[in-house]
Amino acid sequence: MDLLISLIINGLATGMLIFLLAAGLTLIFGLMDVLNFSHGGLFVWGAYTGVFTYIITESFIVGIMVAILTGMVLGFLMEKLIITPVYGNHVQQILITLGFMLVLQEMIKVVFGPNAIPVKVPDYLAGSWEMGEVIIIKYRIFIIVVGFIVFGVFHYILTHTKIGLIVRAGVMNKEMVQALGINIKKVFLFVFMTGAALAAIGGMLMAPYSGSIYAEMGMEFAILGFIVVVIGGMGSFSGSLLAAILVGLAGSFMAYYIPFLSLAVNMILMAIVLIFRPQGLFRMAKE
Amino acid sequence: MKTSNLVSKYHVLFLIILLFLIAFPFVADSRTLTILFTQIFIFSILAMSYDILLGYTGIVSFGHAMFFGIGAYATAILLNTFEPTIGVFIGSIAVGIVLSGFVSFLVGLLTLRLKSHFFAMLTLAISGLLLVVAEKWRTVTKGNDGFTFRAPDIFKDRIVFYFCVLACLVIVFLILRRFVQSPLGRLLIAVRENEQRTRSLGFKTLHYKVIASVVAGVIASLAGSLYAVSLRFVNTSVMAMDITLDALLMTIIGGVGTLVGPIVGSVVIEFAQHYLSGLARDFPIFERWIIFFGIIYILAVIFFPKGIVGSILQALSKWKSKHEDRKIFALEKDKEHSP
Repeated sequence: MDLLISLIINGLATGMLIFLLAAGLTLIFGLMDVLNFSHGGLFVWGAYTGVFTYIITESFIVGIMVAILTGMVLGFLMEKLIITPVYGNHVQQILITLGFMLVLQEMIKVVFGPNAIPVKVPDYLAGSWEMGEVIIIKYRIFIIVVGFIVFGVFHYILTHTKIGLIVRAGVMNKEMVQALGINIKKVFLFVFMTGAALAAIGGMLMAPYSGSIYAEMGMEFAILGFIVVVIGGMGSFSGSLLAAILVGLAGSFMAYYIPFLSLAVNMILMAIVLIFRPQGLFRMAKE
Repeated sequence: MKTSNLVSKYHVLFLIILLFLIAFPFVADSRTLTILFTQIFIFSILAMSYDILLGYTGIVSFGHAMFFGIGAYATAILLNTFEPTIGVFIGSIAVGIVLSGFVSFLVGLLTLRLKSHFFAMLTLAISGLLLVVAEKWRTVTKGNDGFTFRAPDIFKDRIVFYFCVLACLVIVFLILRRFVQSPLGRLLIAVRENEQRTRSLGFKTLHYKVIASVVAGVIASLAGSLYAVSLRFVNTSVMAMDITLDALLMTIIGGVGTLVGPIVGSVVIEFAQHYLSGLARDFPIFERWIIFFGIIYILAVIFFPKGIVGSILQALSKWKSKHEDRKIFALEKDKEHSP
């Protein structure tokens, strides 16, 4: 029983981190029809700048703030410089965002050095609760809570505010939204920056969870993000939450029971979904 | 008359380059350069095979390294278990080709129905999966540590190997040129330009895309086999994303949609890599030379989507048409003046 609970908490925490990455990916894809292969670069830049500030100021909150800021600035620059010139051309988009991923990843090594940086959990989140046999690590609960808060806030924004209405309408039919007199380019930029900021938060939260950060973790997590987006359905926000939890849980259970398959299981899951249900598990066929 | 004249000009150029490459190891007695050229030839083969997918069929695959890896491991494992003779070497190339042909057929059949984004992601995932398998299956692959093996004795002489790889490059180039100029190759270009229209003309585009992916996979496997022999060592890095990225960079910078482009790209990149990592001793920033490539590559995608060779060809044809226009203009003027 205690094993089951800790595996579930592990899986949920990992799932939430992937969700933060996938949420941005899925919104950007749904709205702008751009698959951002450099999303993992934003993730890792969020982690590094956040941790850097966290180590200097010794305040985890300030670290998260800086990570968000980095994400937004990078998102802004990327949308303006990299994405705008290649709108509508899928092959070029794939190529250019992958190239930017390379640059982001190598820049990390130039700015912060090529070695992994160890990160400690802040004092007030360190330690664990013991409930009888079950040991619950506080930081994992923190990640899960943050993940659900982010989901709640974004879900509220998407369903109950005007900007959310515009974004949802844009996902369905962007030409129509533009015809109604809304500057869709601005909405694109806004969504891109938000998605980048979400990835950066994910990276920052990831840092104390895994204990150390390194430049290549962006690509590793980006692959998980892609898998989640495919399983959840491109452009579906709640779908990406469910898929992220699924992938997180599958990963944590497999790592315990069949370690050999732990990475393969996600790939196999994605392959099956893509072959039999290319629109994603949680998405109705084009409403 | 005019075009045949032009074609023969290109032929002469190729012949001169080929003669230079044949004479090179005898004239310049430099071990480093011979090895560098061998490396360039191998990566040219890989990049050309990648261009069949990217440049001719218009599909972006992020899993090309797996075929390279299959070839490299087939050769390494067979040479390690049997006697390192030339026969085993050729046999191992055949085994690698059959294996990657099979894998690329299977993967292509499953994934090529999907749109470009999904295809790119799925190939990324599948090659990631294969990399993990290679790392975990230590009894065969020895994982990330890799293993050394003995190459056939005849390849001990670097120059012999140089000529062997050069011959492979020329043969692959000729075969692929024949391939892209065949009706099948034209069809692949049609798929790249407008898949829907090709389909509505009655062609099963999936079949042709699978054929393209098999051809690309098979040639990549050959490159992998040669690569393994050139290093006499193999580890899981032959399957890593880096190999795919190298092929991608070479193709994009050299010129997509031409066969000469990838070769030019691999010359540029291998030389730059060689000299930039040499510079790194004085300027540490050059240790991260990939940044410069990333930036050049992004700029190339935005401003020179045709790459070096494509841009040159475009400029040439523009110049030629201008030239021709002027001629026609002059002719017409003559006509006007003549009674």
